Formats: sequence, C-alpha cells, structure tokens
Amino acid sequence: MKAVSLTSVRVFFTAILILSVTAGTHAATEGEKLFTLKVQPLFSEKCNGCHGDDREKIKGEFDMLTRESLLAGGEYFGKDVLQPGNSAGSALIETVKWLDPDWEMPPKENDRLTEEQIALLEKWIDLGAPWADEEKQSAIREEEAKKEVTDEGIIVPTSGGLGDEWTYRRYQPEDVWAFMPMEKPEVPEESDHPIDAFLQAKLSEAGIDPAPEADPLTLIRRATYDLTGLPPTPEAVSAFRSAWKDNADLAWKGLIDELLASSHYGERWAQHWFDVARYADTGGMSNDYERSNAWRYRDYVIRAFNEDRPYNQFVIEQLAGDELADRSVEERLGPDKIHSTRISGDYTPEETEKLIATGFLRMGPYDDAMVKKPEARQIYLDDVVNSVGQTFLATTMRCFKCHDHKFDPLPTRDYYRMTAAFATTQLAERPAPFLEQESLEGIDEGRAFVQGMLDFATAEKDKLVTKRENAARAWYQENNRDYLPLEERKSLPDEEKPPRHVGLNIVEQGQLKVREQDVWIWTRRLERYEPMVQSVYNGLSGKGNARSLRIAPKKESSAEIKSFILTGGALEAPGEEVTPGVISALGIPSASDENEDLYALPTSVEGRRLKLAQWIANPANPLTARAFVNRVWQQHFGQAIAGNPNNFGVKGKKPTHPELLDWLASDFVENGWTLKRMHRLIMTSEAYRQASHHPQREELAVKDAENALLAYFPTRRLTAEELRDTTLAITGELKEARGGLPVMPEINMEVALQPRMIQFSLAPAYQPDATPERRNRRTIYAYKVRGMADPFLELFNRPNPNDSCEMRDSAAVSPQAFTLMNSDQITDRSIAFAHRLMQQSSSPDEKIREAFLTAFGREPAPVELARLNTYLADMTEYHEGIHPDRPEYPEEITRTLVEEFSGEPFDYTEILPAFENYVPDLKAADVDADTRALADLCLLLFNSNEFVYLY
Amino acid sequence: MNPNMLSPSRRSFLYGLGSSLGSLALTDILAKEAASPLAVKQPMHPAKAKNVIMLFMEGGPSHVDTFDPKPKLQELHKTESRSTAGLANGFRFYVGSPFGSRKVGNSGIEMSDQWVHMADPEVADELCNYRGCQAESLNHPEALFHMNTGSRLGADPALGSWATYGLGSSNQNLPGFVVMTEAALPQGGSTNWSNGFLPAHYQGTRLRPEGSPILDLQSQAFKSREHQRRALDEMAFLNQKHAAANPQHEDLAARMENYELAYRMQTEVPGVVDIESEPEHVKELYGLDQKETETFGRQCLMARRMVEKGVRFVQIFSGGWDSHDYLERGHSSRIRSVDKGMAGLIKDLKQRGMLEDTLVIWCGEFGRTPDNNKRGGVYSLGRGHNVDAMTMLFAGGGVKKGTIVGATDELGAEAVDCVHPIRDVHCTILHLLGLDDNKLTYFHAGRYKQLSQFGGQIIPELIG
Repeated sequence: MKAVSLTSVRVFFTAILILSVTAGTHAATEGEKLFTLKVQPLFSEKCNGCHGDDREKIKGEFDMLTRESLLAGGEYFGKDVLQPGNSAGSALIETVKWLDPDWEMPPKENDRLTEEQIALLEKWIDLGAPWADEEKQSAIREEEAKKEVTDEGIIVPTSGGLGDEWTYRRYQPEDVWAFMPMEKPEVPEESDHPIDAFLQAKLSEAGIDPAPEADPLTLIRRATYDLTGLPPTPEAVSAFRSAWKDNADLAWKGLIDELLASSHYGERWAQHWFDVARYADTGGMSNDYERSNAWRYRDYVIRAFNEDRPYNQFVIEQLAGDELADRSVEERLGPDKIHSTRISGDYTPEETEKLIATGFLRMGPYDDAMVKKPEARQIYLDDVVNSVGQTFLATTMRCFKCHDHKFDPLPTRDYYRMTAAFATTQLAERPAPFLEQESLEGIDEGRAFVQGMLDFATAEKDKLVTKRENAARAWYQENNRDYLPLEERKSLPDEEKPPRHVGLNIVEQGQLKVREQDVWIWTRRLERYEPMVQSVYNGLSGKGNARSLRIAPKKESSAEIKSFILTGGALEAPGEEVTPGVISALGIPSASDENEDLYALPTSVEGRRLKLAQWIANPANPLTARAFVNRVWQQHFGQAIAGNPNNFGVKGKKPTHPELLDWLASDFVENGWTLKRMHRLIMTSEAYRQASHHPQREELAVKDAENALLAYFPTRRLTAEELRDTTLAITGELKEARGGLPVMPEINMEVALQPRMIQFSLAPAYQPDATPERRNRRTIYAYKVRGMADPFLELFNRPNPNDSCEMRDSAAVSPQAFTLMNSDQITDRSIAFAHRLMQQSSSPDEKIREAFLTAFGREPAPVELARLNTYLADMTEYHEGIHPDRPEYPEEITRTLVEEFSGEPFDYTEILPAFENYVPDLKAADVDADTRALADLCLLLFNSNEFVYLY
Repeated sequence: MNPNMLSPSRRSFLYGLGSSLGSLALTDILAKEAASPLAVKQPMHPAKAKNVIMLFMEGGPSHVDTFDPKPKLQELHKTESRSTAGLANGFRFYVGSPFGSRKVGNSGIEMSDQWVHMADPEVADELCNYRGCQAESLNHPEALFHMNTGSRLGADPALGSWATYGLGSSNQNLPGFVVMTEAALPQGGSTNWSNGFLPAHYQGTRLRPEGSPILDLQSQAFKSREHQRRALDEMAFLNQKHAAANPQHEDLAARMENYELAYRMQTEVPGVVDIESEPEHVKELYGLDQKETETFGRQCLMARRMVEKGVRFVQIFSGGWDSHDYLERGHSSRIRSVDKGMAGLIKDLKQRGMLEDTLVIWCGEFGRTPDNNKRGGVYSLGRGHNVDAMTMLFAGGGVKKGTIVGATDELGAEAVDCVHPIRDVHCTILHLLGLDDNKLTYFHAGRYKQLSQFGGQIIPELIG
C-alpha cells in the first residue's frame, strides 16, 4: 500500500539513485533493463501510435513493435534508421532531436522528447539496442516493482491501468505532489504570522525583501472589493483613515469583520464559485432551454457563503443533498414514503435546502435534442464527472476517459468507476416548497408578464390554425368526406386528407411554426413561478427530455445497472465491467476495511453519491482542501499557489509554496473547514497588506520577474461584474436585493432585440425589467443566458459558462474602450453620477472633489483640479444648445426569419410589453448642459486606469 | 505580449503631446514601437495562403443537391430506404435530387444545375471540391462548434482565433478576425468565433449587418468626434499621472493604447464597411444589383475589402440550409442567394491577383442524407442531417485547382474515399497558412492545447 510520504521519499531519494544502478534481475543485462523499463515505455507512449499499434495504418511503413521490423526501417530511412552500437549514425536519433525540419519526430510539440529521453535512447542504441523477450520483460518489471523508489521515482498504487507497463510506471514525487498525503508542515521562524513565515522564508532564500505596507486607502479598496466586490463609500474611507491613525491593527481587523458580516460578501464569493461550477439560467446548446428556478441554487450558494457553512458540508450537500433529503424523509415518515414525497414535494425546509444544493449537478450545458439517448446520457455523465473532478478535486477527469492518464496516476478504470457513481443519477425539475429565506418578490408581476406573452402567441397561433382548418373543411367538403381534425388525419394516406399546410401560404406556414414554438416557450416559462428546483434523484432511468425532466411517477423495480470501461472512450465499445468507485491513487479508502475493494462505492441505486461526497469531504483526502484553499488564495492574491486550480496533475503548474499550501489546507480542515476564518488569516498577513509596488524594482525583475514569491501585492483589474456593480453603486442607483427571481438589467439594445436562432425558431427578444428597482441590482442576480451573453460583461472577460473557469482573463482589447466610452449603459451611469453630484455640491471645485472621493476614494491633486475645471467649463460650453434625443422604446418588433425547411424568408411581429410602462433611468435628455458636462467628467473617471485597476 | 516597450519617460513625453501632436502621429509612433499581440508573426514554414475567407453555410447544405450529384437517387425516388443514418427510425424513403446536374469548366467538376455563376469555367476551374470529410455531431450547435473550433463542447478557440494567434494581422487598426452573420446569429451564437482559452485579442469581432458595425463603435449622437478626442486627451492626462505613480504596473500603457486604437478604428471600420466607393461593375459582379443576392454579395465584397486591408481571417455565415422538407424550394433559393456572391468573390480576387494567397472555403457543419422520413404523415421531400458525408469547396490559397478529392458512395450516404475527420481539414488549412497544428499550441490548464485537440493529419490531396 502506498504509505510513502513525500518527505520520507525525499530523504533517501539520492541514496537509491546510486544503488539502483547496480541492483537488478540476474539474467538481464543493463541494456535489456534499459529497454524494458525506459525505452519500450517511451516507444509505446511516443511512437507506436503511428508506427505499430494500428496494424492497418503504419506510417511510412515503419513498424516499431519488434526489433526486426524496427531495424528493417521503413519507406524513407531503411536500415539507416538504427545501427546497433552506433547512436550517432542512427537516423532515429536525428529525427527525435528535430535536426531536420522535414524529419521531426514525434511531430507534436506536446510529445517532443526531452534531452534525458534522447540520452536514454542513445545509450540503449550504443549498448547494441538489445530487446528483451516478453518473459524477460515481465521478470524485469516485477523485480523493479518491488523497489519503493528508484531514480525513475515512485510507483503510485492504483486500481490498475489497462497494461502492466502503466500500472508500474514511476513518478517523480514532486510531480505527483497533489496525490500525496497531506502533513501539516512546521511553520518557519521568519514571522509570527504563519503565512508571512512561509512567504518570507522563500523571499529571504532568494535575497528579496518584501514590499512596505500599502497606504490605508489602497488597503480599504483592496479589502472591500475582495470581500464584497463593491467600492468603499467615501464615508467608509474616511472612517477607516481615522481609525487607522488611532490603531492600524485594530482598524484593519475591524474592517475585515465588518466586510465579512456584510450580505455582499456572499454575493461576491458565490461568483467565484459559479465561475468554476458554471452557473447559468439556461441550458445552452440548440434550444437553450430556460432552467427555471436555477436561481434557488444561486441563492443557496450565496447563503452558504454568508452563513460560513463549513466547506465539507457544502461539498456533501451539492453532491448528494437529495440523498440526505431522502434519508431525512425515511426517518420522518418511513422508507415507503421516500418516493411519494419525491412526487408530492412535501419536504421540510431543511430537506428542501439540500435538494436545492444539488443544483450543482445540473449546472453544465445540456440538451438532448437530436442526440441518441445513450449518447446524451454519456455526455451528461462525462460532463458531471469532469465538473466534480475539476471543482472539488482539482482533477481534469476528461484526460483519462479514453486511456489511462498520460501523465498522472489516474487509470481509465477510475474514470469509469467515478462515472458509475452517477449511473443512477437522474435529472429532474423537482417539486419543493419555497423557503422562508427565499425572496418571492416579483412573482405575481412576472407571472402576469409571461401569461401576457403566452396569450399573444396563443391568439396568433389560433388565427392561423383556424385558417388552416377552414381550408381543410373546404377540402373535405369538396371531396365528399367527413372532416377530421389534424391529429386524427395525420397518419392517413396522402389521398385521403388535405395537403399538409392547406390554406396557408409559405409566410403563414413559417409564422405558424414560430407561434407554436412561442406557445410552448412561454408555457414552459410559467414554471419560473412554481415551487420547483433544478435537481436530481436516484433511479434507473430518467423521464422526459431536456425540455421537461420529471421524476418517473412509479418507483422502478430494482434491476441492476451496469457500467463499463468504454474502450477508447467510445460508447459503442464497452470493455471490462466496472463497479462504482473513487480515485484510487490517493490511497484514501471509501469503503470499510472488510471490503476487498477499499475504493468501492455502493452498487445499489441509492447511496452512491453520498459515499462519494463523504470520500471527497474526508479530512484525509489530500486534494479537497488543497483545491479549495488554493482557489481562495487566488481570489485574494490574484495568483494561485498552484497555478492551475482545476488541474493539480503532473502537467499542472507546480505550487510556488507547497508547504504553505499544505499548512493552509491542514489548518482549514483542523478548524472546521470554515472560510471566514481563512479570510481573516490571509488578510491579517503582512503579505496581504503589502504595497503593490516594490522599492527594488530592477532587482526584482531579475530575481523574480513573475512575482511568484509575492514580494509585492499583485495588481488586478476589476471583473466584469465589479465594473457594472461599481458604476451603479457610486451613482447611487444600485438597489439592494435579497435574491429571488433573476432580474433583467438593461443590456445593449441592439443585442437585446437581435434575432437569435434556436432549434426550429428564433428565441424571444430579451426584454429588460420595466423598473430601475429590479433592473439595477447586482450582476449576480441578473438572468444569465448561455446563448446570449451580455456584451458588456462578455467584453470584460466574464467566462463562458460552458466550461469551468479556473482563472479569468483580463486582457485589454479595444471593444472594451467602445463600450466604456460610448454605450448607453455607461452614458446613463455618467449622467446619474453627475446628477447626484449636482445635488450634493455647489461649486465646480467641490463637484470635482466629490467625484474623486466617490470614484477613487481620494482628493484630486491641485493640478488635476485645475485642468478638470477647464475641461468642465469647456464641456459646459459644448453642451449649451445641444439637445440630446430621448430614447424611444419599441413596443413591438418585426422579425425576419429564413424558414428552416423551405429557405424562404418571412416576417412576424413580436410584442415587447416590458416597454409599455417602462421607467427609464435618467437620460442625457433629462438633464441640463451643466450636468451633461459634469457627466463627461464622470465618464472620464469611469474609463481611467485608476478606476478599473486595484492595487 | 506587452506593448509597453517604451521607457516611462518616453511614454509620458508622447502622451503629454497627445492633443497638440494629433492622434495619428502619436499613435503611429506607438504602433511601430509596440509589440501588439496582433503584430505580424512569421509563419512556421513557407505559407501558401496569407488570408482566409470562410463562407459558412449554416444548417447543413446538401452535398447531393449542390456539388456531389447522385443520379442514382432519381431512380430510387420515393422507394423505401434501408439506410440507417442519423437518428432515423420508422419508414424512410429515398429522395431524388430535384435538380439536374452537369460537368462544368475545363476540369469537368460536377455541380447541380442550380449553380449558374459558380459554373462559369473561370470560377469552376479554380475550385477544389472535397467530398471525404466526416463530422461527428448530428445537432446543429455541436456540429457548428466542431467545424469552427475543433471541439463539440463549445469552449475552445475558433479556427480564425488560432490563425490570428499564429500569424497576427497586418492591419493594427482593424480586428484580425472578422465575422459577418445574417441578422440572426447562428445556433450557438458567438461561441462559434470565441477565443476560448486564447487571450481575448484573438476573439472574432462581429461586424453587424445593420446598425453600428461594431457595438458602440461611435460615441453618443450628442457627442462629436472632437468631443471624443478631447475626452481621450483628458484621460491621457489622468492616466499619465497615474502611471507615474505606479511605475511597476505594466498593463497601464497597453490599456491606454487600446483607447487610441479604438479611436482609429472609429474611422477605419466604417471605411471598410462602406462599399459605396466601389465601381458599379464590381457591385454587379457580387450581385448587389439583385435583392436576393444582395445581402451575401455585400458581405463577400466587404470580405475582399478587409483582406485587402490586411485582415487575416474573415468568416461569413449564411443560414437556411436545413432543408428537412421542401428541398427544391429551400435549396434553390439558398443557392441563388450565394451563387453570385461566391463566384464574384473568386473572380474578383483572381483579377486582383489576390486569389493566390487568399484561401476561400465554402462548407457547412455537416451534409444531408439521401433519404427522408415522412413528416405530418406525408412524403416530405427533404433530407436529414448526415455526419458521414458532406461537401466542401476550396479555392485559391495554394489548393489544387479544378479537381475533386475524395468521394461518397453511390447514394451519397457516406464518404468512402479519402475519408478524413474535421480535424484533418483544420490541420490542412493551418498548413496552407504556414502553421503546423502540432506546434501551434497554447498552454492551458496543464496541457498544450491545439486546434485538432490531439493531433491530426494533413490531407495532401487538397494541396496544389
């Protein structure tokens, strides 16, 4: 069993290195061992794919599976390819060295051999290229497997690969750091604060001093954005400044406590979770079906963060909350009530909360339209397993779906064992009562709005159906037959019924199809207001399709459900049968000691996920806590300790501070997995309070150009959501909200009304909420459509919810400038900001001063004040005599669609009732020239670097 | 990556002069000195094509009724089909093409008789018709994602993103990767031209067919261009002061430069889009004189103008090819709408000597089946989705001229000769651009990612 700890390996690592050269199998020569243990695996990984494995398609007629065929060479090199005893004269070496651009092997950058690998090959050739037979190879491998550590590294025991070669391959311990047990390291002596101790130990090793402390304004901005995603108010800044003067430490701790207690804290940290978990209000793909009530999961996550729910509980609820609810029902009402309660939805609030949590398992894009059932099912399983792996275990599961993992100790068997844990998981929108803590605000208005849209679509549809049926009646009369309605005549032979679209011309046929689509789209959207939850349940097969997923009304008989390794990842090629299980390489059992298979999960329909969740939340699981604290660290410092938070594998970036990561993870687990405590710990470190510039800039550029050692605090740009929320906050327009139904903010009008293809039709236009009270809420509460991103948020790098995002991009591109200078949204904010300043302050100087305090938290410098005063005066002059247009809101639009089947374009009208009683935000046309001039200045501030970057 | 190659003192000097020097002089100096992420990069091997114009027929054009005629189907018309393609179940029957076909040009390429302008020998003899490609996904968005990004999942960079990442773009005042669609976005929307995990500079920029070509390109109507210039100068003042206080922050200059680039684009983009300056005979060549060919023709002409101005990759989406029913009406109207524009584009490029290094691609996300099922109880004359066979056209950019590569079976149900998956087509396109898919990689989430996902082959038969 794997009891090798990282430290013990390191201790006798060098000793073994020398020993292993002399030890070995008696009969085997050095060359044969080299071949078996190194050269053969290298061929198999890098060459045989094109040169032997597929007997039908051997590239260049060069077969490397046997010594004979290898020496015979191929189409191009013949016998020159390998001359035993003479590596320098062997073309093979030339090609792997990529000396000739026409002959670079293996051809992929990803596969290119390292210098060590090339040296091995040369040595083997110089030793005469010996080729041990199968029997000898096995003996050599067996002998080798007995050694705990060799110069090749350690063996990581797993459930076993598809071949021995993989099973017994070795890893450098530092490469598989994440799979190794976690031990809480000693804190170095450099500082009283453990975080600073670890960081400073590395810095002094590199001969770098940490940066000085940042000034209080920088600190309050940094902390407030980090914990709430919003700017500090001028009052908060001034209070903090004076508290800082009295007692900096107390002021800082007080600030952190205050921010952690704010309900905005959960709104901010839930966003980070959603980047990884991929929250959206629709399902994406061809229909982009609405996921009504997905908001309940959104609010659950916000609540969990605000309540500081222990992370292990958070994990278990999201993965197996429905099973917990079932157990609770079983205790409450007895086992025979589990299924009937699933149907009735009579759950207690505690049970409901847990059902809502499983929304996590429903976050991926999914649509089964035009996909065969088993394939659609496999797509779901692949997606959910990959998501669970990336989110909780920092393991990209899809890398070992088709074969044993190329680099990590993750056999493909474990992939299918983990997948089998979800084999009985069925998707459903389930009934579950609304909770007291859930906001039901806007439900009645919303329902009335949707009903209005539905009534319109129904009426339009009925008109066309009536026209068609009248024509059908006429046809029946002409043909002396009795009228039959569409459903009854559908399957009759052509001559016994009227033509298919009788009475309707091409345009009307297209219109009918659109109206029929609209009828069900709006009917379905009425589900928004029903007490349902996007969740899962355990069963043998699901009911319905992505349009409507429901629990099968009858409890199914308990037939067995089997899972297989899919050879090469192909659904058509089931191989060995597997039972549910966990990742074996971690050495953390999921089953009791009596079980022969320590990494097994239950094979029953019920209980698979709960055991999996408990295994993930096991304090000994080395990936879980490391993965989470690594993400938390990244959100504070802008860079993670291990640079690929979704992939801790061999090819992921190595941790810059492995001991710190382990210390944090251990500390996190020991102290009840609570996050707010972790924030306090991180934020009270000197490292977090450092300035973002460093006195020895030139020196640092040489010693640590990437700032991996955190000699100064990394700068970051505001996220898309922070930008929008901040502009609303400082204009005073931001409305407090308590979650609930998604709100529809104003987005670029052209995009809102732009036609968008879905299967068979166009998606209905996006209509913003009619009142600022609903529109101007924080972005996390906005309706998020997979098929139509808010262009403002998309431009500022809000991630695509189809894939888990481990770290956001913040590249500056020109379209960002367009939207932040010219868009209606930003113009409205600038007007609102100016309007607010006009009311607060009298003289131009005071206005500029107030604008700076609100936007930047500081006073303008005299030179800024002077220059902007001139600007303000010039702009006032510019705006005199200009009369901006008042925007007009369309109450209906005409859409053109190319009829999918006939290729003919046709028009139809869509109503936009949101604009009938629309309450616009303050517009340029509503204010005077002075205000517009001041708005120009506000716009400058919004666009300035000082506004968008945090230091 | 960082355009901030100027020393701080030089930078402040330049920005200080912003308003008096005028934006052009200032930004010219900056552009020359800055290493923009879109700066031109040398190809990995000698390139045959410099630019790409990709005409994407959304919905899945029928190969059998466009460029891969199957006379045998006419004989089997409305007889029961034994084919099991796609999601087909229940009674299926063969559908003969409603169109005749003929061999055209000196090369004798076959096409349906609906193609009038493409049949002109001057155009037809430039074409390379590839019939061996196979897709994987039966549904539109997944199949669109696959053809456009190399992955069905809809999260990876588009072909155009990879091309601009590999080669940059020679006009820094225009986006390097431009996308044009009809009024309606194709299924899957902007994911089809997303930069995926590549930096945002390589994202496709959609030029909108109506309204402002780029969202919010121009300032609000009540603000003049001088007003905008003044705002930028005031901002430069604020930013310059800020940069002086934060000398370690390297992103600042890049962001300032982006505002200047945006300002230049405000004049450059409308210039490219405005085709009024084109002579009448050119407009007519692209079919701008007829209502049904005007939309697509206009986009083709804009594509030529953009490539001329140095845009690396232009993609045009044209929808409506999903003919499950009314095949005759549907496909003939779709063919009519693109025929003249496509042919005009190829002719025009040729006349200007641009075809040699501009690769024109015509394709859809998959082909169509030779048979159909009944709809609403009647024999509906249309075709289903087919991932096993499709047709593609290439022209210019170093592809073999006047030739047919690969073949489908007698009925067009399945590709049988020179069969390749989409990734091989992608590798071949990159190869023509002087890029090697195996070396055009980007390290993301612990792995060197590439367009073909796991590597693919070049299709040598397509290369001239």
